[in-house]
Amino acid sequence: MPTRRLVIQAGLATIAAPAIVRAQGLSGQITLMSYAGIFQDNYVKTVIEPFQQANPGVKVNYVPGGSSAQMVGSVRAQKADPQVDIAIMDVTTSSIGNTEGLFDKLTPAEVPVLAELLPEARAAGGEFGPAVTFDHLVLVYDTQNLTPPITKLADLWRPDLKGQLAVSAPPNIQGLALTAMVEKMEGGDYRKSIDAAIKKLRALAPSVQTFDPNPDGYSLILNGVVKVATGWNARSQLFADQTGGKIGTLLPPEGSVFQINTINLTAGSKNRAAAIAFINHALSQGAQKAFTERMFYAPTNGKAVIEPKAIARTAAAPESRARMIGVDWNEVIKLRDQWNNRWRREVISAAR
Amino acid sequence: MSYLELSGLQKRYRDSVAVDDVSLSVEQGEAVALLGPSGCGKTTTLRMLAGLVDPDRGAIRLDGAEITRLPAHKRNMGYVFQSYALFPHLSVARNVGFGLEERGVGKPEIARQVEEALALVRLAGLDQRRPRELSGGQQQRVALARSLVIRPSVLLLDESLSNLDAKLRDTMRHEIRSIQRSLGITTLFVTHDQVEALTMCDRIAVMDRGRIAQIGSAEDIYERPATRFVASFVGRSNVLPATRDAEGRAVLWGETLPVAVPASGEFDLFVRPQRMRILPVSEPVSPGMARVHGRVLRSVFVGDHVEVLIEGVGGQLTVEMQSGSAAPAEGTEVAVAWPLSDTLPFAREAA
Amino acid sequence: MTGSTRLNLLVLPAVLFLLAVYVWPTLGLFRNAFNEVGPTGAMVEAWSLKTGAEVFADGFTFELTLNSLWLSLTSTLIALVLSYPVSLFLFRTNSRFRGLLAVIAIMPMLISGVVRVFGWLAILGDRGLVNTLAQSLGLISTPMRLVFNWTGVTIGLAESIMPYMILALLAGFGQLDRTLEEASRSLGATPFRTFLRVTLPLSLPALALAAGLGFVLSMSAYITPKLLGGGRVFVLATEIFEQATTNTNWPVAAMLAIYTLGLLLLLLAISNIAARRLQR
Repeated sequence: MPTRRLVIQAGLATIAAPAIVRAQGLSGQITLMSYAGIFQDNYVKTVIEPFQQANPGVKVNYVPGGSSAQMVGSVRAQKADPQVDIAIMDVTTSSIGNTEGLFDKLTPAEVPVLAELLPEARAAGGEFGPAVTFDHLVLVYDTQNLTPPITKLADLWRPDLKGQLAVSAPPNIQGLALTAMVEKMEGGDYRKSIDAAIKKLRALAPSVQTFDPNPDGYSLILNGVVKVATGWNARSQLFADQTGGKIGTLLPPEGSVFQINTINLTAGSKNRAAAIAFINHALSQGAQKAFTERMFYAPTNGKAVIEPKAIARTAAAPESRARMIGVDWNEVIKLRDQWNNRWRREVISAAR
Repeated sequence: MSYLELSGLQKRYRDSVAVDDVSLSVEQGEAVALLGPSGCGKTTTLRMLAGLVDPDRGAIRLDGAEITRLPAHKRNMGYVFQSYALFPHLSVARNVGFGLEERGVGKPEIARQVEEALALVRLAGLDQRRPRELSGGQQQRVALARSLVIRPSVLLLDESLSNLDAKLRDTMRHEIRSIQRSLGITTLFVTHDQVEALTMCDRIAVMDRGRIAQIGSAEDIYERPATRFVASFVGRSNVLPATRDAEGRAVLWGETLPVAVPASGEFDLFVRPQRMRILPVSEPVSPGMARVHGRVLRSVFVGDHVEVLIEGVGGQLTVEMQSGSAAPAEGTEVAVAWPLSDTLPFAREAA
Repeated sequence: MTGSTRLNLLVLPAVLFLLAVYVWPTLGLFRNAFNEVGPTGAMVEAWSLKTGAEVFADGFTFELTLNSLWLSLTSTLIALVLSYPVSLFLFRTNSRFRGLLAVIAIMPMLISGVVRVFGWLAILGDRGLVNTLAQSLGLISTPMRLVFNWTGVTIGLAESIMPYMILALLAGFGQLDRTLEEASRSLGATPFRTFLRVTLPLSLPALALAAGLGFVLSMSAYITPKLLGGGRVFVLATEIFEQATTNTNWPVAAMLAIYTLGLLLLLLAISNIAARRLQR
């Protein structure tokens, strides 16, 4: 079908043309640091490669940086001589970098695409790097060996799931998110108290195989160690596809919590112009659409037009969005030590 | 039946035979040496006696009772190891008292016997020392005392003097011999040193490649070696290749010697150097003496004797002369004579 | 140039290397311990004892210390009891497979932590070998909890330190001489009495050495408590890691690291003194 390919190529060229014009004069390398594994693979394919095609003079190095905390640690250690230009990491850790002056503020003048972002995406970073992906906490389960399948958060307390759960406890942010979700389920509000959540979670403790799933909950389900685990939606959706549906993903009707990754410009970046261009690209409608359709992170660009099939598997779908619990991570992070201690003393210590 | 009987003992290892076939009878109170070069199986034999090695075949009887399969700790053998094997973490007194403690002897009695044993080996007063604080000779005495204090059925000494210097070895040899005699203790003594064997024991068993080549008194072994191996291992000998004449007599360096020789095959005549005498060529010898001719190559003064090397038509030989007697000058033509009865013919072994 | 100067020059590269990759980063680590942390976790450069005061005022630090000591003690003792016979056997055997057996004994050193965890899950998990066997024999009706708790970590840690302890024991068996055991037997001691009176006392220096090593390794072990603990086992090493890599709290992590390092040095000194006493 030569004609059709030709049309597509012509179309792509048209779309890319303005970018090429704008990008003229950009050259050199930039280094992007973020998560390893499937995130890296898909981000390179759907976001970085198109950017490099549009900006042939710029080479983007993707450096896997471990966990968000490890990434902010790397940037902190390189403060005097930054080796990383852009870092994509969880908002709870990027906010530390913002406070410490590791990242630069971004203005709409420099980054016009900011105007297209959802308000909560702008809010996540304040004057600093905005949200680049939205994810949310889900329950992941074994579709083959769990009957009936779980349909709600409260199902975790089902007697037949005793010893079959993998729950990431705080300080992991999955544990923090779960705490807020359970408090909501119990009719409370995490901003006021988490007493109800802790009481309920304490009752869950004997059902939990591990509070620290390694390497992760998805693998433990696939290996038959547990039947249900906490997880992030995007990865769960991808694992569900990769395993031919062995893994099921549930957005609990009781509500869930967004996990936010922000895109951050390192203070003192040695190729600021190219880095800014990349941030504009990463937040653009095209890149947001491509990455969402590939990996099921909800877009942060409100104008991105995404296939309905893909959007239904993210938290951006209207019926999902309605279930989300508004969590201000900047507030939660101040409570982290306190929640962590309560989990340790009141939840985890309950006999297995 | 003797006090201690070894019959047909055999021990094989994966790729070698350590002890092939050893039978030996030892009377009560007797001291017997197992003499041989390293690897001849003498230590393995001793270890089988002690129960430290299980024989593959054969039997050991002690005082009429079979002990072949009895575990080591039930045998009551006093074993003095080559390395002494003193317990480094125990004092001299605890070392010596070890066997008595294992036998459940009361503390005061142990103290008394230990003191007695230490006095016997002339170590009184050193009882609180640690083994490493003792000299080699003192360690040897502790090891001996430790084995004697349990009043063993048999005392087994494994190359026990080989780690001492020459002088100390001399002293210990006599001390051990006199203790052994005064206690009347049956003793087996493994050694590769013939002087030890000859001086310390009533009888000697010479071992060769896992077998006993000859058992007898020191004199038997020395004067009447049963095999070529015994003759060459015990004492020094001139090994003189000889031939046979038509009447079956030995011919050495052109001289016919009337000694019995093997009926066939090549053979050598063994003659101890100190049995030989050097004579002027003109001096006749009495019947019953062998005599050959040669030329003096050189003389070596060794201290208590002089070794004279003589070359003749059939090769070389060494004569041992008492020092003090005048050695003939180099190059002198001489005759060498010795009693025919001291001429021992042995067939040459296939290499 | 004298001989000793030349020798000193020879060790210079090693010293420089150590300074660069060990001493300098360690000093950097020490520096962090005196910084402060803001409410959101941001680090504030300072020369302050605030972090230290917080760490040592927190009862949890004391709890972590006891946990670490207890875990190290139990797993070291288990590993010691298991390693000792293995080492004795390896030390003495004349088998032509001795080399191979020694390699097998220290093989676990070569296996990565994650592989080890899945191995232990297959053995100790709810549907693992032990539980399946015990259930099919009718010994138990519900699975025993053998992993993702203290039991699992203790077992896993004991296994992971065993190879090191076996090597330490083999290195420390200097005084152990087969002849001494034979002497004991010939003096009338049964094999068991011989073990008690000769073998064991002479093994004590090696046992002390191995125990010291095992204890220090257990104290600093992070992977096993993390992977087999199921989030239920809190020890100093896991807490340091968590503070550094999840909480981004470098000052607390650094302060705990210094504290643990001090504790380890103290333990090493004690174990060295003990070993030297026993050698005498």
